[in-house]
Amino acid sequence: MKYQTQKLAYPYFILATLLFGLQVIFGLLTGAKYVWNVDPLIHILPFNVSREIHLNLLVVWLLFGFMGGTYYMIPEESETELYSPTLAYIQFWLFTLIGVSAIVGYLLGWTWGMPFTEQPFIIKVGIVIVALIFLYNILMTVIKSKKWTTIQGVLIAGLVTLAVMFLFGMFFMKNLSLQYFFWWWVIHLWVEGAWELVAASLMAFVMMKLTGVDRNVVEKWLYVEVGLVLFTGITGTGHHYYWIGTPAYWLWFGAIFSALEPLPILFMVFDTLRMVREKHLEIKNRLAMDWAVAGTIMHFLGAGVWGFAQTLPQINKWTHGTQITAAHGHFAFFGAYVMLIITLAYFMVPQLKGLKEFNQKKGFAVLYITIFFMLMMVLALTVAGTIQVYFQRVLGFDYLTTQSYMHLWYAVFFVSGIGFVAGAILYIYDFFTLKQA
Amino acid sequence: MEKSTAKKLFWWGTIISAVIFLGLTYDTLKQLPKRTNSTDLTPEVIAGKWVWQEKNCNDCHTILGIGGYYAPDLTKEGKLRSADWLKKFLKDPKAIMPEPRQMPNQHLSDKQIDELVAFLQWVSTIHTNGWPPQPEVAQNEAIASESTEGKLLFSSNGCTACHKINGIGGNVGPDLSHIGSTKTPQWIAQQITDPTSHYPNSLMPSFKTLAKTQLDELVQYLSNLK
Repeated sequence: MKYQTQKLAYPYFILATLLFGLQVIFGLLTGAKYVWNVDPLIHILPFNVSREIHLNLLVVWLLFGFMGGTYYMIPEESETELYSPTLAYIQFWLFTLIGVSAIVGYLLGWTWGMPFTEQPFIIKVGIVIVALIFLYNILMTVIKSKKWTTIQGVLIAGLVTLAVMFLFGMFFMKNLSLQYFFWWWVIHLWVEGAWELVAASLMAFVMMKLTGVDRNVVEKWLYVEVGLVLFTGITGTGHHYYWIGTPAYWLWFGAIFSALEPLPILFMVFDTLRMVREKHLEIKNRLAMDWAVAGTIMHFLGAGVWGFAQTLPQINKWTHGTQITAAHGHFAFFGAYVMLIITLAYFMVPQLKGLKEFNQKKGFAVLYITIFFMLMMVLALTVAGTIQVYFQRVLGFDYLTTQSYMHLWYAVFFVSGIGFVAGAILYIYDFFTLKQA
Repeated sequence: MEKSTAKKLFWWGTIISAVIFLGLTYDTLKQLPKRTNSTDLTPEVIAGKWVWQEKNCNDCHTILGIGGYYAPDLTKEGKLRSADWLKKFLKDPKAIMPEPRQMPNQHLSDKQIDELVAFLQWVSTIHTNGWPPQPEVAQNEAIASESTEGKLLFSSNGCTACHKINGIGGNVGPDLSHIGSTKTPQWIAQQITDPTSHYPNSLMPSFKTLAKTQLDELVQYLSNLK
């Protein structure tokens, strides 16, 4: 850490960590409803409320993580202090206030009712204001420094896209198909567009610092990486337009482009491994490095392989809207983003705390525990989903009868979820007790 | 590869994909009104969409295959079930489907229920490129067996939600695969129109609004299940 204002990242990481804990607890509550069909919380916390809180906390804590990572990175990349620390504080408290209001609102039944974008309009306006403050602060810092690097450029492109795409999910549309058409501009073009850019940029920064590989090499491959992400990802949105009322040509465009989507992710795996091989520095923070490498592999499996498995329309016709999608969702978010934010935390937080070396034992335990139990959760949901496809879609059994055949796998999913939560709690404990070794 | 080549690759890749995507978007927006029968988007349907969102139905149910996986997909619900059945269900879900996994009563007004049903009926007319797929086995069975009026009434009135026939259907009420061999047509007719006359605590809703001819068809179908 070279600049004082990098410290602003710390509160963002603290909140990300706490909200991660809350998110997985709501995940457990949501999962329990599949296992115990008679829900004792049905009048206090029905499934839809529990799910919307689980989803929203995920998005919010990942955003806090991105913001923290950005505030750490930008001064160092720009070689100057942040433009306005005050704005960064205002943004932090405003976002916290908005997040808390949204969650309390959900518990009281205040919702907009579109998955992931359940925030009522006024809350959405608040989120846009937070995004604008953030963007302004970052842009002004870069402009002030007059130093443009590719890493900054990709980050800013990602942040601008993130803010602009959100606008497409803000307004009520009379036609459900049209609403969903643009809803995907938020959901898909975030996770397979804007967020990938932000993540790739932060990852490039961390890998460059960890391995000491030459900036020119890192940035060259960063261009190729995000170029491939956007080439496949933008038109790849089409794999969400197979069955929602949109024309049939999307079956072709969606299939071809989204079938290519695993390529950039595979490329990221090779790129990361190449950097490790060509390292110029002795790797001191082994923990952050292993999280980064494991993260790219899990990203490839979760988003690439599990996504590809159902992206072709011939298969998607049967799997769409089943637990197969939920398996992919859990796996992809964990591999692509959760592991990235934890990598950032293990790389940045020790430096924010001024620790030269720290005890990494618990951090490695978290890595093994969370990966193992996430794999178990994903496999359980994949089997449950396969049963669902066969019984409900192929044989034509009714929905609830099919659910009873999936019950065992819901139990496996839930028990694995408990294991995952244990890993998450260990992470939170480790985060707050990091000490000089 | 030089960094400048990589940069060009990035720009060209992004621009090509964005142009294709925006071009297709333009065409999709032109076609969407026809494919979704947007002329049928009456104020009632639009109000129904808001009821759907306000109650966050979508985080339990999928619609067009998107949403929560805790409850059935409702894309074609407006066609699969009669408006009468849907209204009864929305008024008191527990009475119609007393399964352990419950839908909480949303305490909708009659007006809201009408709006929500109108919305679901409109959604069921959206042209979805053949999704959800017809179950292969059920399809074959349908082709193999004669499709009678009574059989259609059995499914359109939502009887399959609770009753199973030849392995297909719910398990709330008794299996009716051989009902014709144990009950008389008169008994069956009375059970349909006035369930509590046989079992005072029966959860089965009355279907006395069925026309006489429809009731006869349904009774005939069930009596033949031996």
